[in-house]
Parts: sequence; structure tokens; C-alpha cells
Amino acid sequence: MTPDVTRSRNRTALRLLIAAAVAVCVLLSLTCTVFRAGIYTKKSANTAVGDEKYLAARAEVDTVAEEYRTKGFDVAVSETVTERTNSKGETSSLVTFSISQELEKNGWSFLGTGLPSSVILTVLLSCVLLSVACAAAGVLGSMGELPRYLGPREKILRSAAGLFALIALLLVPVFVMSNTVIFSRKLGLYSAGTVTEGAEAFYRKVGDYLFGNAAGTDPSGALKGLTFRNTPAFWLTMIPLFAMVLAAVQLRHGTIGNTLLRGLLYAFVLLVSVVFLYPYYVMLVSAFRSNAETNDMYFLHLLPTKWVWSNLTDIVKRGVPRYLLNSAMIAGGATLIAMLCGIPAAYAMARMNFKGKNAFLGFVIMSQMFSPVVLLIGIVQLMSTLKLNDSILGLMFINAAFNQAFAIWLLRGTFVSISPEMEQAAKIDGCNTVQSLLRVLLPMAAPGIVTTLIFIFINAWNEYTISTVLISTAGNRPITVGITQFSSFNMIEWQYLFAASLLATIPVVILFMCIEKHLVSGLTSGGVKG
Amino acid sequence: MNTLNNKRWWEPYLWLLPSIVLMAIFVVFPIAIVFRLSFSEISKSGIVGGFIGFRNFKEAIGLPAFKTVMINTFWWVLSVVGLSTLIGFALALVLNKKFHGRKIARAIVVFPWATSLVIQASVWNYIIKYEYGNLNNVLLNLGIIKQAVNWRSSYQVEFIWECWVGIFVTIPFVTFCVLSGLQSIDGTLYEAATVDGAGGWAKLWKITLPLVRPSLTVSTVLNIIYVFNSFPIIYTMTKGAPANKTDTLITYLYMLNFYDRKKGPATALSVIGFVILCICAGIYMITVMRKEDDT
Repeated sequence: MTPDVTRSRNRTALRLLIAAAVAVCVLLSLTCTVFRAGIYTKKSANTAVGDEKYLAARAEVDTVAEEYRTKGFDVAVSETVTERTNSKGETSSLVTFSISQELEKNGWSFLGTGLPSSVILTVLLSCVLLSVACAAAGVLGSMGELPRYLGPREKILRSAAGLFALIALLLVPVFVMSNTVIFSRKLGLYSAGTVTEGAEAFYRKVGDYLFGNAAGTDPSGALKGLTFRNTPAFWLTMIPLFAMVLAAVQLRHGTIGNTLLRGLLYAFVLLVSVVFLYPYYVMLVSAFRSNAETNDMYFLHLLPTKWVWSNLTDIVKRGVPRYLLNSAMIAGGATLIAMLCGIPAAYAMARMNFKGKNAFLGFVIMSQMFSPVVLLIGIVQLMSTLKLNDSILGLMFINAAFNQAFAIWLLRGTFVSISPEMEQAAKIDGCNTVQSLLRVLLPMAAPGIVTTLIFIFINAWNEYTISTVLISTAGNRPITVGITQFSSFNMIEWQYLFAASLLATIPVVILFMCIEKHLVSGLTSGGVKG
Repeated sequence: MNTLNNKRWWEPYLWLLPSIVLMAIFVVFPIAIVFRLSFSEISKSGIVGGFIGFRNFKEAIGLPAFKTVMINTFWWVLSVVGLSTLIGFALALVLNKKFHGRKIARAIVVFPWATSLVIQASVWNYIIKYEYGNLNNVLLNLGIIKQAVNWRSSYQVEFIWECWVGIFVTIPFVTFCVLSGLQSIDGTLYEAATVDGAGGWAKLWKITLPLVRPSLTVSTVLNIIYVFNSFPIIYTMTKGAPANKTDTLITYLYMLNFYDRKKGPATALSVIGFVILCICAGIYMITVMRKEDDT
């Protein structure tokens, strides 16, 4: 592409970007939200339309309306009539007069009101401005019309233009959502009286925004009947904002197609991350809410209003450290036993030839299938015969045995991948088999051994079913069983349940992230899962 | 490799001994016990009587909930394994691409795998509560819904939620299996295909799928077995209620044995489950052994 073509394309893209920014500003001046505030209602019962009582009520309402008009409200009076028949068969009407005000607000009107949506709108507009500024600076830079110190940053400037436009684009739904939350959920809860905290300040802010200072009085009455709807005008701003993103991409990369695909990729990854992290978000915030907040269906916030750290000290009193210790002992013991039995077996499988080797290998793979759950009844019987039921030692052995297959399989894979030459050299130097294993092979196989170790530890740590059946003494419970004490039949203490879960989850997640890389290679050959 | 030495032929077996003893006591013994019990008369208090042939099996199959439970087990395994394989595969394809933050994304995907199932199930149990659940709270606070939604309006819906949690915790395993398969594919294959004018779909079907098929087979068969055996999710979320309508074989036999004290039929169900597992395990073994021969 010749410099001239590039230059003219850049100019076109820049013009498009600026035009789109102007379009955003124009769209913001259209009506984006329509409010209907009921300021005053009067009910007149046992009347008929047109009779004396009706006229009197009507006159009274008109006077009130006039009063509001002189105060600067633009109000309208409406009436609804409901026919009623009493037990004697006489028909009368219930007339409801209401004075209400329709308010059409455009996007600009939100600025500087102190409401959350005004903050969002401010950020959005600054992003639009910054995007235009960056794009213009970037294009000027390529034409050599920029101060020298900005010249080399031309690419960064163009990327920034795209980024700012993208942020502005994403803020549109955030703005509409915050509007919905403020005017529908919050107002609804405040006026129904289910939530009172902060109501007054909120009423004042919304009142100031809707009626200006004209109200002068307590606006809470008017706000109680407030209804609102968003018009499509604000959503439409997404079109020019998207055009801005495209123009910026064109400026930065010269083409649009690849970048769009890339954008889709990031959007997908973002979505997956949000879904995967969601339960952990729930665990985290619920662990530090008060009991009232975890059970409150009118809860107004995404985070705890006050982080209740005492939940942690409470669960300490309820025996959680003991359970964590038990879990660590069970998992540690199981890992130790599994490794002590598994390393020699894996060594024999990797380095020796003998009859029945394949049969043993087959049995090892088969035993991977035998879930302890389906054999639960047999295990319970066995453990009571061995006097190992209700003991931590018993759980160690069971976990070790059911992870044995995995240990042998993964360790064998590690040993096979290491050349036996070093061991043979050690033997020539006078080591026996055991020494060569301990001094030569094991240090070399350390990464594989650590992976196996951690994996068995995690499996045993997370085990629930057998422990819940075998353990009856509270002091012997592992944490997975221990957390169930917080959920009794009719009352669940969610905050304690999640605080304990959090403590049980953090260490294993960290451990797992350490071995994640090594696990991928060992996976398909060994076949493992928690 | 040591050759077989006649004088010390027993040495390899000595190395295997600890492992064999451990597994014989804690894996093979329970199998034997379960089999013996399934053919014996057992009283409610657990006193084992004499041999009664297949009477326990007949009783188990004759239980009113048996059919529901078997159908549930089938749908549970099919939906969880099927959907998690599909989603996990797609996720692996994405995570195999190079992009900023890939390491973080991979670490996040590991999370559900590392978490205890009982904890995961408790969290989801809280999320979908009607009155104060977190999903309703979040959606209300984001203004997406106007009124709290009852996410568990019927037992069918509850079962679907249980399946979702099953899928959620199974996806990472599939993803990492497929990723390990994808990493072994030679990049030049794709370049050659591009030169020949193959599009994205053609490459997926003609190169990627055939080459990751071994990993996919391993993960699928293992998942069938693990999901079949899965106990904590259903036990935590519904306990099989109402009336065993959300039970699978595993949770049902647990309830039967430890709540209803019908030990005879429960052991019979154990054996049935064990046989089903053995069939799956046999298929798995043949696949793995064949793969071993290939390499």
C-alpha cells in the first residue's frame, strides 16, 4: 500500500470516528428515560360522577394542583372511577384523583446529579473524548505533525483510542442497568419500607434530580409512586460507539476482520472466566456477610455492607481448626502410604521384567474404576472387622488404597521416561538397587513425584462420602464432613458454611495450580480425576 | 532393564508386595464382601444369615423406585458426560490459542476441579435458593430481572440444576485431557492444510478431531465411570427428594442401606452398579492397552 492510500484511509477512519462521537452526543440529547411521579392522590368514596361530593373533591384537587404549578411543577390531574355495589344493592362510585407529573429526561440531564448513573455517564463521555483525542493524535503523529516526544507513541495512541471506545461501548448497558436498579429496585424497596437505611439521602438525591429545587419540601411522597421506563434512545448510542471501535481498529491495524475474531475470543474467555469464578465469588462474599444478610431476599448490594470478620473466629470456636487438622492428617497419611507402596511397585513395573506384569497392570487400571462409593457397604463391614471404623487411620488407608492405581500409573510413566543408564552407573560404583533408587532415580523424578503427591493429597483432602459414613465422632471429622454441621435440617448457617469452605478450598486450589502444568502431560496416559 | 534372574525371580514381587497387600485388603476385600452379602439374607440390624440365591436382586429390581432411579442414572451420566465433553472440548480449542492472559484463564478453569464436590454443591445450593439465593440477588441488583425467580420450581428443574453442577465440575478434566492431546499435534499439519486451501471447519474435522480422539476417548470413558459414581452433588442438593425422583443408583443405594435399612437389596444394587462399572472399565482397558501398543 502506498503511503498516500494509507494516509487517505487513515483520514477517512478518523473522520468516521469523530462523526460517530458527535452522533453519540446528539443521541444523548434525546429523551432516554421517562418518569411518571404520582405527587398527590385523593380518594372520594360513595359518590357518583357529577354529584356534589364529587365536584367538591375535584375542586379541592384542582386547588392543590394549582399550588404545585405555582411551585414550578408541570403536573396533570387524572381520575379513575371504580363502580361499587353494596349489600343493599345501591351503586356508588369510588373516585381516585391523582396529580402526577411526566418527566422526560435526556442523557445529559444525569450529569452532575450525584447518582451512580451520572458517575457512569461521566466516565463514558470522558472515554469518548479521550478516544477522539488519542485517534487524532495518532493520525497526526503519522503525518509528522506532532510534537517530537509524542511521535514514537503513535501506535500506543491508536490502540488507546480503540480501548477507550470499547470501554465507552461496554458502559452503555452498565448505565441502563444502574438506572433500572436505582429507580426500580431501590426505590421499590425503600418505599415498601423493607429497607430503611439510607432512604432519606437517596430520596433527596432523586428528588433534586427529578424536580430540581422547586420541590423545597420532602419529595419522598412523590417518589413513592414513581414509575419509569428507558427509551431506546440510549441503547442506540451503542451503534456509533461500535463504529468508533471499528474506526480505531482500522487506524491501528489497517484491517478489521482479524481483530473482530480476536475480540470474540476475548469475549468468550471473559464469559467463561466469569461463570467459573461465580461460585467462588458467592463463597467469598457470603463467608463475610452477617447471618441476616445471607438470608435477606431484599439485600441491596453485591458485596457485604460490612465485612464480618468475626465469622472466622466463630467457626474456630465451632471446631473447624480441628477438622482442618484431621483433613491434613488424613490426606498427609494417605499420601505417605500411597507413595511408600506405590514407588516400589512403579519402580518394579518400570525397570524389571517378570511374569504377571501385564496382569498386574490390568488390575491397576481396573481398580481405578472401583469407586469406593459403590463398595461402601463392603468397606463399612471391613472397617468394623478391622476395628478401623470411626478412626483417622482407617481413612488414611482407604484413601491410599483407592489412589494407589493413579500413583503407580503416573510414577511408572515418570520412571520410564528417565533413562536407566545413571542407575546402572551407580550400581557399577557399588550401590545396591535400593540405594540407586533412593540416590539416583528419585531425585531425577522429583517433578513427577511432587505432582503425584499433590494430586493424591488433594483427592484425599476432598473426599467426602466414605468419611461421612465411617466417622461418627465429631473430633475425628475431616473438614468436608465438618462443614455439614452448619446445615441442619431447618436452619443453614450459610456464612459459617462458606467461611469454613473457603478455608478448605484455598490451600488445595493453590496446590492444584502449581501442578496444573505437569498434570496436562500425565493426564491422557494415566487417567486421573478428583 | 534387568533380565529375569533365576536365582532372584521373587525380587520384583517383593517390590510389588506393599502395593498388592494394600489393595488386596482395602479394595479386593470389600468387593468380596459386597458379593457375599448380596447373596445372603441380611436382617435390618445387619446380621448376616444364609445363602438365598438371587432373592436380594429380585427384591431390588422389584422396588417401586428402581425404574425411576435407573432412568435418572442414565440421563445423569448421558447429559453430564455428553455436555461437559462438548463444552470442555470447545474450551480446550480456545485455551490452546495464544492470547494475553491465557495462563490466568487456564488457572481459573482448574478451580472447579480442585474444589471438593460437597463444597461446590453447597455453593450452588445457596446460589439457586428462591427466597434469598445469590443468583436472584445478583440478577435483581443488576436490574436484569424485576422479581425473584424460583429456580427450583419442580424436581425436574432441580435435577437439571444437579446435572449443571455435574457438568461444571467435569469440564476442567475434559478440557485438560483435550489440551494435552492438542499440544502434541504438529503445527506443520495445519500449515500444509492452509496451503491446500482448507478452511477452519475442514481443519477441525480432518486434523484436530482425529488426532485428539485418543485423549477424548480416555476422558469420556473415565468420565462415564466418575459421573456414574458421583455421590455428593445429588446428596447435598436434594438427597434424592421427593420420593427418590432425583436419585441415581449410587445415592439410592446409600439411602436404601443407611436410611431405610434395606441392606439386602442395597448390596444387590451395589453388585449391579459394580457390574456396570466393570463393563465400562473393560472397554476403557481395551482402549488404553491398544494405545500402549500403538506407541
